[in-house]
Amino acid sequence: MPPISTEWVKAMVCKKEPIEREQLIARYLSRTLDENAVEEFEAHYLGCDECFDELRVSERLASDLRSSNLAWSQEGGVSVLRFRASAQLTHSAQELDELRREVLEQTDSRVIIDLSRVTRIDSAGLGQLMSCYSHLVRNQGGLKLLNPAPDVKKVLDMTGISRLVPAYKDEEEAIRSFGAE
Amino acid sequence: MDITEDSLERLRLKLRYKVLYHVGHNCPDVDDLVQESLARFLRAEQSGQIRNTEEFGAFLNGVCRNVILEYRRRARREPVLGDDVSIPEQGVRPEADIIDMRNAIDTGLAELAERDRMILRCLYLEGKEKEEICREWHMTDSQFRVVLFRAKERFRRAYEMKRNAAHKH
Repeated sequence: MPPISTEWVKAMVCKKEPIEREQLIARYLSRTLDENAVEEFEAHYLGCDECFDELRVSERLASDLRSSNLAWSQEGGVSVLRFRASAQLTHSAQELDELRREVLEQTDSRVIIDLSRVTRIDSAGLGQLMSCYSHLVRNQGGLKLLNPAPDVKKVLDMTGISRLVPAYKDEEEAIRSFGAE
Repeated sequence: MDITEDSLERLRLKLRYKVLYHVGHNCPDVDDLVQESLARFLRAEQSGQIRNTEEFGAFLNGVCRNVILEYRRRARREPVLGDDVSIPEQGVRPEADIIDMRNAIDTGLAELAERDRMILRCLYLEGKEKEEICREWHMTDSQFRVVLFRAKERFRRAYEMKRNAAHKH
């Protein structure tokens, strides 16, 4: 992708062709703008109500699209939550809020989260998994993880979270583990 | 520069957005950082330091950037989390904010066609260029524009309703 230059942003964002502005906003939201362009865009929207409103509207649109990245299914009496596309569970990722909301609003308290499409996780993501775990345990259920990528598995092991929230490679095995408790 | 109560609230909202973008939703000091930025900005404004009022956005941005940098330096010197302190359970985004966002989503894109959704995902989540998206989906520039602005219009209505409701309170 060609970089968006500082000059480009500087040249009055709101006077740009609407699709160009939308592309800038999309890159800001997906954090693919370089540091200087981010600064220029922020300096602009702090002084421009129109662009700030457009940013907020697009953020909500992007949030909805992310939300649709999560899908529930019922397997053997257990609810399985999957990511439809690759996702990150990091402090700046909106997937975190979506994940938490989905789990907390789920009526079934036996949940498996399929992490096979999660490419990164940080302390905020781990905190959110623990938050989901606490909520489900409080409701006489439990949380199991499925297929974490090697890097994610390493973090789960290092932090000791995998002792509380075990990860399985096989979905059948993960489902059966609820019956063993 | 004429600062009314409304414009101050608007600045606070924008600053909060910027601060959250940089420090994340899990930072417990977001409101303090916003307040500090705003206080410094108002002091500068009252003492006539902002000469070009048309560029106050750049000035405010600089102030806020410094506040965030100072906060990060302080956090490195005095880490808040010790080894024996557990990871915070959740972020600080107020529940009301999440509910608001959910309402907006419900009224916004509930009926959006799956194809439109996939096209918009390319732009917002996968970072693809307009030209690339048009090529992949065999659509013209105008068709892409219709998909984008139809979706944004639905959200804009929900957003404006919320803004107006907040303004009344």
